[in-house]
Formats: sequence, C-alpha cells, structure tokens
Amino acid sequence: MRGSPREPPHLSSERQTLARFVQILSLDTTKFDFYDDNLLRGEARRRGTGGPPSDDAIKGVPAMGYRDDRLVAILADGARRQLSRRGLLRTAAATAVAVPALAGMKGRRAAAAPARQDAAKPTSIKMLYATVEADVEAIKLMIPDFKAATGIDIELDSQPYDALQQRAFAELASESPFYDVMICDTPWTPALTGKLEPLSTYLTNPALNDIADLALEDFIPKVFYDTAVYNASAPNLQFPAQEAVDLAAIAAEGFDVFGLPLQSNALTLAYRKDLFENPAEMEAFKTQYGRDLAAPDTWDQFLEVAKFFTRPDQRLYGTTLMAGNGDWATDDFKTLLAAWGGNGYMIGDEFTIDFNGPEGIAALTYYADLINTHKVTPPGVTSFSWDTASSTFASGLTAMSMNYHSEVLNPGVEGEIAYALVPQQVTRGPHFGTWMLSVNKFGENKEWAYRTAAWFTSAASQIKMLQTQLHPSRASVYEAAKTDPGALAFGNFYEVLGQSLAVGVGRPRLTNYGAVDKEIWVAVNQAASGSKTPEEALAEAAEKVTALLKQEGYPVG
Amino acid sequence: MSTATRRWLTSAATRTVLWLVIAFILVPLVWMVSTSLKPAGYAQTIPPTWIFKPTFEHYVGVFKGEAATPFGPLLLHSAIVAISATAIAVALGLLAAYALARIPFRGKKFLAMWILSTIMFPPVVAVIPVFILAGRWGLMDTYPALIIPYVAFNLPIIIWTLRSSIRQIPEEIEEAALMDGLSRMGIIVRMVVPLAAPGIATAAILSMLLCWNEFLFAVSLTRSQVKTAPVGINEFTGMFGTQWGAMTAAATVIVAPVLLMALMLRRHLIEGLTLGAVK
Amino acid sequence: MARLSPAGTTAGGVGTVRGSRGAVPVGRAAIGPAGGADAQARAANRTAWLLVAPAVAVLLAMTIFPAGYLLYASFRSFNLMNPDAGRFVGLQNYQNIASNADIRQSLLITLLFVVLAVGIEVVLGLGLAVILAKQSRENSIAATILILPMAVTPVVSALVWRELFNPNYGWVDYYLQKFGLIDVPIDWLGSSTTAWITLISLDVWQWTPFVALILMAGIQGVPREPKEAAAVDGAEGWRLFWDIVLPLLRPFLAIAVLLRVLEAFKTFGTIKVLTGGGPGISTEIVNLTIYRTALQDFSVGAAAALGISFLVFLSIAVPQLLKVLARNTDLVEG
Repeated sequence: MRGSPREPPHLSSERQTLARFVQILSLDTTKFDFYDDNLLRGEARRRGTGGPPSDDAIKGVPAMGYRDDRLVAILADGARRQLSRRGLLRTAAATAVAVPALAGMKGRRAAAAPARQDAAKPTSIKMLYATVEADVEAIKLMIPDFKAATGIDIELDSQPYDALQQRAFAELASESPFYDVMICDTPWTPALTGKLEPLSTYLTNPALNDIADLALEDFIPKVFYDTAVYNASAPNLQFPAQEAVDLAAIAAEGFDVFGLPLQSNALTLAYRKDLFENPAEMEAFKTQYGRDLAAPDTWDQFLEVAKFFTRPDQRLYGTTLMAGNGDWATDDFKTLLAAWGGNGYMIGDEFTIDFNGPEGIAALTYYADLINTHKVTPPGVTSFSWDTASSTFASGLTAMSMNYHSEVLNPGVEGEIAYALVPQQVTRGPHFGTWMLSVNKFGENKEWAYRTAAWFTSAASQIKMLQTQLHPSRASVYEAAKTDPGALAFGNFYEVLGQSLAVGVGRPRLTNYGAVDKEIWVAVNQAASGSKTPEEALAEAAEKVTALLKQEGYPVG
Repeated sequence: MSTATRRWLTSAATRTVLWLVIAFILVPLVWMVSTSLKPAGYAQTIPPTWIFKPTFEHYVGVFKGEAATPFGPLLLHSAIVAISATAIAVALGLLAAYALARIPFRGKKFLAMWILSTIMFPPVVAVIPVFILAGRWGLMDTYPALIIPYVAFNLPIIIWTLRSSIRQIPEEIEEAALMDGLSRMGIIVRMVVPLAAPGIATAAILSMLLCWNEFLFAVSLTRSQVKTAPVGINEFTGMFGTQWGAMTAAATVIVAPVLLMALMLRRHLIEGLTLGAVK
Repeated sequence: MARLSPAGTTAGGVGTVRGSRGAVPVGRAAIGPAGGADAQARAANRTAWLLVAPAVAVLLAMTIFPAGYLLYASFRSFNLMNPDAGRFVGLQNYQNIASNADIRQSLLITLLFVVLAVGIEVVLGLGLAVILAKQSRENSIAATILILPMAVTPVVSALVWRELFNPNYGWVDYYLQKFGLIDVPIDWLGSSTTAWITLISLDVWQWTPFVALILMAGIQGVPREPKEAAAVDGAEGWRLFWDIVLPLLRPFLAIAVLLRVLEAFKTFGTIKVLTGGGPGISTEIVNLTIYRTALQDFSVGAAAALGISFLVFLSIAVPQLLKVLARNTDLVEG
C-alpha cells in the first residue's frame, strides 16, 4: 500500500533539506554523492518530472529520519535555494564552520576520510555476529575457506542477542569504523538505514562480484524484500511484494538494498511423528474424530489434535505455546492474526492499528482458549519463551511445538520428529525474520566488506553451511537440501522451512518497534494468563501503541 | 503444664523452626550443586533423581567453553575488577573515613549525610550516562568502565564501616604521634591502618562481595574483553533451552569463592554489617 | 563484647559536645598544628577536605553528574542512534510519564515490593535472631549456614529459583504434590499473586539472614544487667523480650531496615531474570522499565525523565524513613 511519501510531521521542507545538509556535511563527500543524487533522481522520476527536481518536487521529500535541530532553523534560508550538487557543496563549505560549532564535533568520526574508497585488499575483515540465533557455527565453519579463497582473515566477534544489539547500535551511533561487516536483525533495520551502506551500486558492479556468484534472483523474494530492502527516507515502508528480486524495481521505488540475507527463521510446526504414526493412536483418533490422524492443516484441526494428545496423567500435552513476556508472544499472535485474515504486520502502512479488529480478537481468543479453556498446553506456558518451548518439546512433554528451528529430542526420549507448515485459518502468514550481513557505512574496507558478505551468503557457501543447520535464504540451497544428508537428518524440516518462508510475514518497520512490541506481548500474555479478556487486552494495547507511535513522530492514521 | 515442660516445649518448637529454616536456606544450594554433578539428561527428570553417579564433566565443559564462552577468563575478569575496585575504594574510603572520624570541619555533618544518601542512588539511573559516555570515549568493554562505578558504589559503606572502626582507636595515641611531629598522612598510614585492620578487612570483604556479584553495570558495559562471570551465567540459555548441568556448574563456580570467603571471615562480616551502631 | 553507644560518649570516654556542626573537643588539647584556634580550624578544614576529596570526586561522578546529565536529557527527545539529533521537547517526556498509567503502577509495584520484602525479612529476621542469640555450638553452626544466601550472586539465585518453581520439573511443585498439599502443579510465574510469592520468597531467602545477623549481634550486645534485674523481678519470656531487649535493639533494627530498604529499591537482576516484569506487567518495577527504555529501546530522553522522577521519589521517601529510624541513634552524628 503505497502513497505519497511520509513526511515527518514536525519538519518543514526547509528544515528537511537542511537536515539533510547537516547529515551530508558529516559524511564523506563520496557518500553524499550517491545518497543525494539517487534519492532526488528517484523522487523526481516518481513525480514525473524529468530533469533536476524543482523546489516543489524537493519539498515533499522526507528527511532521512533526521529530527528537527536548532541549527537547521538557523541555516534555513540560504541553502534551500541551492540544490544542485555544486550548490550543496558550496553551501556546505560555507556552513562547515558553523555546523561543527553548533552540532558538536564527534571525535570518533574520521575527519579525513579518503576521497575515494581504497580498493586495496585488507589483511583482515572484522565481522560482528550473533551466536546460536544466527548460527555462528556456520560462519566459523567457512572462515578457513574464505581465507583460502581470498587470503583475508575474518576477525569474528560473536555476541548474544542483547549485547549484540547494544553493540551494533552503539557502534553505529558513534559512527565507528571498527567493524566492516555487521549482522543485522530485521527489527533493528528501520532505525539503522542511515548507518548501513546501501548496496545497489555494489550489487551491479561486476568488479565487486568477482569472488562470489551473486545470483540475486536466487534469494527467496519475500525474504529478500522483507529483510534487506528499505526506503532510507521512509524506513517504515514495506516494499510491495514482487515475484522475484528486481533491482531496477527497487531503485524505481526509491528503495535500496541494505544487506544480504543469511539466516532465515520462520515459524514452523514440529510434531512427534512416532505418536502420529502409531497405529493405536491413529485408530483412537479416527474413532474419536472421524478422520485420519495427520499433521493439522487448519487451526480447527490443530485444536482437535492437541486435545487428543492432552493426557496430563501420562505427562503428555498437546502443544507448547510461547505466551511468556517477550517478543516471541507477539510473534505467536501475529501469526494467528495473519491466519485469521488480519494484517500480519499489525501496523498498517498508514500507521493504522490493525491488530485489535475482529480478526485480532478472534485470533487471540483462540490462542487464550487453547491455554485456559481447552487446556491443551503444559502448565507454565505463560512464561514460555523460545528456549523453554524448545526444551519442553525436547523432553517429550508435548506432541507438537511451534518454533523457529529444528528440534532434537532429549537422550532419554524415544521418538521421531517431523515438521509441517503452521496451520491456516483463512490463509497462512507465519511470522518470519531473517538476519542479514550488512556493510558498515563508516567502515574503511567497504568494497571488501561487501565481497565478504556476498561470499558468505552465496549459494555455494550456504550449501556447505547446511552442515551446521543454517536456515538458508536462497531457493537453490533448499533444492540442494533435498539431497544433502546433513539436512535430511532433520527429516522434512528444510522443505517445510522453505515453504514457510515463501508465505511468511515479517515485522512492521517502526523505529520504536521494541516499545510497540512490548505492549502487544503484554496484551497477549494477559489474555493467555486469563487476567484480561482478549478484547480488553487488545484494546488497551491499541491505545498504548497509538500513543507510542505519536510520541515517535509518526502520523497516526 | 509446669514451667519446665512449657520451657522444654518452647525450646523444642524453636529448634524445629530453626532447622526448618536452615533446610529452606540450603535447598536451593543443594539443588544447584547436585544438578551440576548430575550426568547430562538427569537435570530435569520427574521424579527428581537423588541417586546418581556424580560427574565433573560439566565443570570441565564450563571451563573449556563447550556450552558458552569459556568461563575461566570470565572469572579472571571478575577477580581483576573486584580486587582493583576494592583496593581503590578502600584507599579512598580510608582517607575520607579518617577525616570524618577525627577532624572537625565545616560541613562535616552535611557531607556525612550526603555520602550516606548516595547509597540510595539507583544504579539503573547512573548506568545510562555511563553507557553513553563509555561508548563515546572508547571505554566500552574496558576495565575502568566497571571499576570506577564499582568504587563509587562501595564507597559509602566502606566509609561508614571504617569511620566507626577508626573511632574505636583511642585518640590519645594519635595525639602523642602528632606531638612527635608525625603528619596526618603518616598517622593514617603508620597507625590507623594497622589498628583498624579488622575494620579494613570487613570493608574489603563487603566490597569484594558487591563487586563480584554485580550484574547491571557488568551486563551493560562489557562485551567480550572484560565480561564478568554474572553476565556469562546467562549465556547458558540459548535457543534450544538451558544447559542445566553447565549452568549450575558455572553457578557453583561463581558462588564458591565468595561463599568460602564469607564463611571464613564471618565474624568480620557480621561486625561490618552492624556498621557503627556497635561501638 | 561490643558495647552499645547511644549518642553521647565516645569509646575513649572523653566527653564531647555533640553540637550542631560536628563535635567540639572539650577538655583536651585540640588536635592540629600549633597556632591560633582559627588558623587551626582552617588548617583542619583544608586537611579534611583534601582527605575526602578523592572519594567525594568519585561519588560525584557517579551520582550528581549522571543526575545532571539525565536532567538535561530528560528535556530532550533523542534516540541513541542519533544523539546529536535530539531536540528540545520541554516537559513532553514528563507529560508522557504522568499520563502513563503503567508507569504509575510500576512505581506502586516497586514500593509494594520493598515494603513486603523488607517487612517480612524484619519479622523473620527478628525471630531468627532471638532463637540464635544464645551462644551454643548448634547456634553457631546455624549462624554460619545463615551466611550462605547473602554470598550467592543474585542472578544465579534467580535462575535457581526459576527452575525450582518450574511447574513441570521443579522441586517445589513436585514435592507439594507428593505431600498432598496440591493436586495440580501451580504455574507460579503464570499469575501475578504466585509470581509475587516467588519474587518475595527469593528476596526473603537471600536477605533475611542479613537482618538476622545484624539483630543477633544486637541481642548479644544487650548488657546482662538489665536482663538479670528484670528476671529477678519475675519478668521472663515475652515481657523480657518486649520491654528490655527490643528497645535496646532499636539502633540495630534501624540499620537493618535502612540498608535493606535502600538495597531493595535497587533490585534489578533478580526480577529481570525471574519474571522479566511478568506476568503482564504485574512485577514490572521501575528499574526494569528504565533499563528497557534506555538500553533496549534506546529512547534516552524518555528513560532519563523516568530516572529523574524515580530519583525525586526516592529523595522524598528515603530521608523521611531516615528521620524516623535515626531518631535516638547517631547513625550519622559525629
């Protein structure tokens, strides 16, 4: 759903332009080259004017996530008129004296960045990465191969999630050149588009794609668009779904690519194949429900199967749910919301609250009923998170479980696991989120950083990474997984994962998603624990989220 | 009922209560240590396994870094931070405590009250600017980023403890030394330190305890270079569940040194806790 | 044997006048270099301030300075990603706080937690202290064991607690069911009442020994004469305790309560690990909210406003407490 560009409400056009100036001034001139011209060109094209954009055309272009600033107001008049590149530079030079004094010099920013990126090969590339969440073992596996192919060492810094986010944000906020390649999780990107290197020029430059086969069309389109394609000046916009990855279309809409996806996680359903294929169980189920026992395809079937397998005295329950306080609860909910036909992004492109309508209430009611009315979940499910759901399933306490990775049963539990797509109601929309490798905009080896990212995300690398159970982002790798013995050890997991990614729904692109996320998970948790009805909980969350969006400066619809 | 019987009953009742309390105190620790010795897979059995063959594999694994980062370096970082912060805090605190105990000066009472009031300053409030500044000055994940805040956290208690210790030293000794021409600093170093040694020991123990167990600043300001043990203990919970054996082994390892220290020096600890109400 | 010293005498036995500002030595040579009284006082002042300066500097750096920075930041709206792009928003952050019912609730929750936890700890600690005060080998061992919980890292104890209270695998539910006290496992962290019980029980486990040990020292320090005199008069048991021992314990109670209250307000790690603020927001103390806003959402302005508000709240509540408790004790005199 696209419309006119979002204008941060509190910025007038002069200020927007000037805000961009200030940003430009702090950047390397080469960077602003790409930034400004392409942006303006793209904008102008969209508005249908041919040549250099007129003042009117520029007026509507939103600032790049930059907020109002006192000094912007001071410089309002002079620079607004001069929007050609040379004019910008001239004005920039003139204001170069005033700006540092007012904005404050940032010591760590390289004052004398090289005029053009040095294409000399570095001896090492510094990479910031996650731990198990993004399968760091896969990276470690490939590091020797990378060294063999390029002679470059990878200095890997692996951090658990919270520390990783803080590190990434702190480094990028201070514009530190320390890391060359940084991993980025989807909820962070809206806030980071100004700090990550846009990769369109790199992707189309044959000289930079020499060590790895880029094969952009091989990326799963939905994954690619959801993870890496953003509009830097309006980071909240989702790119309209496309059949395939199309760089031209991306540029035409004013978007850009900010990384290459690697570990793709989607919600999948794991179930105890041994229980489902047990003849006694199958017969009992058929007798009771009149149909064959199989992995549920709809949520109604899911309820039946869960009820069938709920036998507390035998220490067996139907399924786990992740209703604890945390992002996982929101993800459970939005999956159901999408399945019921609602907007899986929960917040519309026009910043409408889309989660407390009839679909949302129906979805959350179903969820809460599973726990409180039908009681098909083990006790404690209202404090479950990814890890507890996983360990509970692994200990054999439940017949089914929904999670974002393949499962392994505990040594003492005899059984087999198979996977299926998360059920549908009127449609399917499992939550997904993918990690991507991005290039630090302030790094000193950006061309080689790009090559590194491209190499690690290439099909050849990802196929080898199946050994550590990587969740690939390329269609060809899923093909390869069909015959890869390591992948087959997990049954049909990769097949299901690939299918899930094709229909997955990501997160809304809000810079304050963390706070919004929290209000929603609180609502889910309250409904799940029975302390509020789903309507009440969602209504309250809607109020709070509206307030949060307003506070963040979004024009709430 | 005769008084004797009543007294016996009361006594029996109190004894029972006491040992129930002791059991309550010990149960979590027993769980922790026993889980760390159980072979993998026995941690979450129902009914709980009481008879098992103890194994040290988790301890080995923790130090080798099988489930998370190797624990040895984390303990080292914790030790370095705790010892440095304690040393600095005791040194600074001793000087300040001496002044507060011995020298009449303008603003003393106000200063004493203010120092005491800093105990109430919520660390979560202080961590924000420290986090931002540490990032800006390149001090993130370095020792000073932790040591300086820890010194500040420990100073009030240390000053308070040392002040009461110093006050117990008869003033005549110092007077005599002053007459002999010793300077204040000389007095502090040559006389106060040896005489107030027990108090200093107490202050040091309390400080070590606090630094060793501190979590908020450690988790906010460290990444990999100076990550301390309490931060590392959280990393045994990954996507696939918690490695209970490894986690409890690491927990035991963290807790053991401080436990031993507290047990050995318990008299000092108790004295320190009473902080000046006892003269 | 330690002696109680209510306001008045120093250990040395020399009387001092506890005046309004510091003690003025009476009846002995003033300590200090030779010279006129004024010069001496000034020199003493200088020395004193020199001695306290380093400690004060560090303390200032970690209290007043952050408070100042936060005050400044609370009037701006900025995100850590664009620290120089912050804009002045006046009282907007404070208005957001005032209109946010959740934050009001979290302040109440914090207060409730402190009152409940410390209250229970004092009562239990007193009882324990009375039982353990008599010198005996048994009591000595018990007192030693009592020290253990205080030494355990709070984060570790929270992790242990979470597992002990796990409805599917924890010892608590298992043995409660085994002894027939409950039929189905209780989902401790699933409802707010039971979650509170879990939290409070953790704090009580960890800190009651602290209170108990302080009070024990106090009881052991009670001079024998009053007790014996009262016993002769026929008082024993409760009356002995209530009328004789308890009043003499007041300074110790004061210290214990004061220290516990201050520390309880600072609780962070245990609650974060054990409940994470849940279920819902029923255990979300202010510290958690500030941490999340600042270091996970990176909205520094909003977090700063909340931090300042919390500081103000504490600065009002705690000195009141101090005044009440420090009556008749010279906690800070001198």
